[in-house]
Amino acid sequence: MENVVETHQLTKAYGEFVAVNELDMEIKRGEIFGFLGPNGAGKTTTILMLMGLSVPTKGTAIVAGHDIVEESREVRTVASILPEYSSLYGDLTAWENLDYIGKLNDQPKEEREDRVAEMLEIVGMSMWADTKLESFSRGMKQRVGIASALMKNPQIVFLDEPTIGLDPVATKEVRELVLKLNREKELTVVLASHLLHEVQVTCNKIGILNRGKLILLESMENLNRVMSGGEDRRIELRLTETTPDLIKDLKAVNGVKSVTQENNALYVYGSVDSDLEVSKTIVSHGAYILMMKPREYTLEEIFMKYYNQEVAG
Amino acid sequence: MAGTMTVASKELRDQFGSKRFLILLGLIVVLGSLSAYQGVDYVGSSFVYIFSGARMSFSFIQIMVFFGPILGLALGFDSVNKERTNGTLSMVLGQPIYRDSVINGKFIAGAVALITLAFSTIAIMCGITIPMLGFAPTLEEALKIGALTMLTTVYLLLWLSLGILYSVVFKRTSTSILFSIATWMTFSIVLSILAAALSMALVPPDGDFIDEGGPGEPDWQRFTISPEYMEAMQERQALQSAIQNLSPTHLYQITASSILGVSSFGFGSQEFARTATLPEALANNWANIAVLAVVMVVAFAASYMAFLRIEIRPGD
Repeated sequence: MENVVETHQLTKAYGEFVAVNELDMEIKRGEIFGFLGPNGAGKTTTILMLMGLSVPTKGTAIVAGHDIVEESREVRTVASILPEYSSLYGDLTAWENLDYIGKLNDQPKEEREDRVAEMLEIVGMSMWADTKLESFSRGMKQRVGIASALMKNPQIVFLDEPTIGLDPVATKEVRELVLKLNREKELTVVLASHLLHEVQVTCNKIGILNRGKLILLESMENLNRVMSGGEDRRIELRLTETTPDLIKDLKAVNGVKSVTQENNALYVYGSVDSDLEVSKTIVSHGAYILMMKPREYTLEEIFMKYYNQEVAG
Repeated sequence: MAGTMTVASKELRDQFGSKRFLILLGLIVVLGSLSAYQGVDYVGSSFVYIFSGARMSFSFIQIMVFFGPILGLALGFDSVNKERTNGTLSMVLGQPIYRDSVINGKFIAGAVALITLAFSTIAIMCGITIPMLGFAPTLEEALKIGALTMLTTVYLLLWLSLGILYSVVFKRTSTSILFSIATWMTFSIVLSILAAALSMALVPPDGDFIDEGGPGEPDWQRFTISPEYMEAMQERQALQSAIQNLSPTHLYQITASSILGVSSFGFGSQEFARTATLPEALANNWANIAVLAVVMVVAFAASYMAFLRIEIRPGD
């Protein structure tokens, strides 16, 4: 699949402080890319550079085929940004805000009006088209913000902490909207966030940034494999009884690497092929399986692992 | 250019809809109208004297000297940094427009608002007085009024440029408003006090009054000013004027007064000078006009350059 974003040694320094340090990454068309990192990790700075709004100190990046420095205006015709905090005019109505953005994109009047109506419809704000933004809730503002980012019909959208400060209902709505846009319009989305759950349920690829350095770049489906070091996985078991002999025999099963007991749960760590033998062994010891499920790593565990490695290393 | 005009029309709409501008516009129109109304008594031989006002009220020139800086600075001081604070600057610059479209659009909008203000105030003043006087200005007088309008426009744009410069240089609107107030006070009040104090300190009085009268005569008949004292006073006046020339408000005041043929220095102290023709007035004051125009251009060029170099950072 075609790359929409490619960075090579992308670096941004403010004096002595290096905000983004030699970033190398690729984002493919149609991906929802989660940009993870604690506050001050360099997520927003990277986005500003990729939008052509901030000039890199070193390195290059290509966005939708355009160099971010040499062709920054072209980049801004195909890429949109929704900044962290509401970036629209409170004294203008939702319609006027979008219309202004359409004008800045040099869209003819009729096309612009159709587009504004369409975007407001997509984000479910048609009813409030003529209401000033200052009277909107944060969630409503974010919806209009997303509509504003879509006005130019972009190939890629950078959403910087789009759900920060939103209540759970509004957060869910924004998340579903992002997924819908990605699905229906094949929009590439870069979602910068420090909310791990949000990234986990929305994105199909993540990059973890810490102190300006990319410490992990992986697809979500590969993350568990990466975490467990290969094809192996962890199974969580709840049994009617657990004996030392059972644990000893489970450890002896071909493909099982380790067995640990935590509270009432038994964790078997090994290859996928060992599942059947593990079940047989348990039954042979007269125990019953109450629950058996693969235990996937949460993004929090993954993040903390890499974050701690980076801090320690 | 499309970006510039889009930004300009949005800004213009904001300006004309802002309470700040409407209050100042209303104040200036009301004061100008009152000034013109009272100035009718002093019209004498020239229609342009309606801009001199009555002796105990503001003249149009004084209104502009006092309120002009406030107007220009008020329209510009938060034009850029307010957008940075609200986060709208990164949204606007995130669109496919050239960066200078934003600063140019803001300047054009401010300029249109101020030009509208200057023209409408002068037009209203003329509109009030023509029926009262029963005659209209002659061609020469109309040209003088036109020259005054142009000069006033340049003067107002100078302050607008300074206001925009502050809004680009200072990230916080509170800082730029403080600098705007400081600039206004410096050029409108402080510099004239400083000029007087400096000239008095640097040119001490030489000579004194000469007693030429006989015994029993009142003082005002006995004493006359010595030539040395007169010379020192003239030297002091020249130095004071030279220092005051550093102030755009002073340059505007003397140039506008010269164009109208009115001496105007402070509240209620207008005097009618010899009525110079417009070419004479322009010839005598071209340097002042040039300085006002150059300061305006330099201030705008500085804000333009500074704006192009603004680093958009997280939070802008």
